Amino acid sequence: MSNILECKNVTKVFGAKVALSGVTLNIPRGKIVGLLGPNASGKSTFIKLCNDLLTPTSGEILIDGNRPGIETKKIVSYLPERNYLNDWMKVADIIGLFRDFYSDFNEEKAYDMLRRLDINPKDKLKTMSKGTKEKVQLILVMSREAQLYMLDEPIGGVDPAARDYILDTILSNYNENATIIISTHLISDIEKILDEVVFIKEGKIVLTKTVDEIREETGKSVDSLFREVFKC
Amino acid sequence: MLAKLMKYEIKGTARLFIPLYLALLLFALLNRIINPFGMLEASENFNLQVLFSIISITVYFILIIGTFVMTLVIMIQRFYKNLLGDEGYLMFTLPVKSWQHIVSKILVSMLWTILSFIMAICSILILVDIDNLFEEIRQFISTISDIFGSAGFFTLPYYALLSLISGILMIYAAIALGHLFSKHKLMASFGMYCVLYVIYQIVMALFILVFGKKSFNSLISSPSTSSLDLNNLVLSFSIPLIIILVVNFILTNTILRKKLNLE
Repeated sequence: MSNILECKNVTKVFGAKVALSGVTLNIPRGKIVGLLGPNASGKSTFIKLCNDLLTPTSGEILIDGNRPGIETKKIVSYLPERNYLNDWMKVADIIGLFRDFYSDFNEEKAYDMLRRLDINPKDKLKTMSKGTKEKVQLILVMSREAQLYMLDEPIGGVDPAARDYILDTILSNYNENATIIISTHLISDIEKILDEVVFIKEGKIVLTKTVDEIREETGKSVDSLFREVFKC
Repeated sequence: MLAKLMKYEIKGTARLFIPLYLALLLFALLNRIINPFGMLEASENFNLQVLFSIISITVYFILIIGTFVMTLVIMIQRFYKNLLGDEGYLMFTLPVKSWQHIVSKILVSMLWTILSFIMAICSILILVDIDNLFEEIRQFISTISDIFGSAGFFTLPYYALLSLISGILMIYAAIALGHLFSKHKLMASFGMYCVLYVIYQIVMALFILVFGKKSFNSLISSPSTSSLDLNNLVLSFSIPLIIILVVNFILTNTILRKKLNLE
């Protein structure tokens, strides 16, 4: 099977509000995909559906051929836009938790990245700044040797200097058969690492193309095309 | 996976309970040594000793009440914060079934509730000098076995544990139901608890009306109640309890599986 993620006509409705409507999408293995859209366009809803944190109103999501559940959680590494760390834990404790629950977690890699980012594993998460917590969370997520990484706004809260480092971290820590889906509205920062882009607007997919196609067909960068498509 | 979940649940709660238990036992010991009750009796007018005695006794009672209040608060807070708060993003993306989350939380809550009782009893034993402690315990046990027969040592703990599980699950179900509301989730959870409690009372009352009549009649009419009748009564009362427990479990699990909507 070549596609790691297949969505068929996925719709999610909250009460009277339609968050996603009829999303059909196939994402192949070994790609870095940007899920791009303005605020409240359904990016997080889509990612949460893929991670079994929400149940679709209709339609089907298949990850490596399985619906979201235990089997997919074993191979999907998810970075939410929230800080989900238990405050009372030390960094070493949360690394232990990841090691205990995820068989694809590479502990050495995690400690190595902590060292490079100057984060002490003995520190309590409670005493850390918001940016440091985000870095810890990203390290945990990228230290898994997963088949699909889903990163929801991974660079939203960190300063521009740290963004480059984080993007390097993402790039240098995944194997070639794995796919990374990055949701963001900070396009110019991540444009250079993307293979494909998915534009999402008001819960609908408006465009799916490779970055090369965009450059060839329109002669524009992803960023300027985004500004055009989502012009207010 | 269940064992691993419990390991982290115990880790997450022990850091709150252990200091509390230590403080409780320490204050019981302190009260035993300085004997504030004796001081209060001995002193004729108000002085520093009296003040100190009153403070010492008060702190002990606050600690003993606090132990049980904390047991309940932590039970609620762990479910609400760890599963339905931001930490839920981690918990629900672990490769674990939702029922395992619920079961691990119930088992660990049971552990702490039972330990809280044991600690409270220990602190009383430290505080009060009971002569012939073992003799008293032996008498207590023989009183129970006179009333309930030796089967009582099975039926009573069985009913107590079942009530505990049922009570915890009702709280979880109420929190899960409250989570379905878009605003004022904690208030809604409290309201849902009241609703579930009323339903529980109705089910119990119906059970007594429909099935209990016979067993009650025989209990009331017979001059001496046999231990067999009493044990049967306890066992039959566990039936509606089990039904409510199972319904609450399915309700909680379904909400966590299908209706989860983390903020």
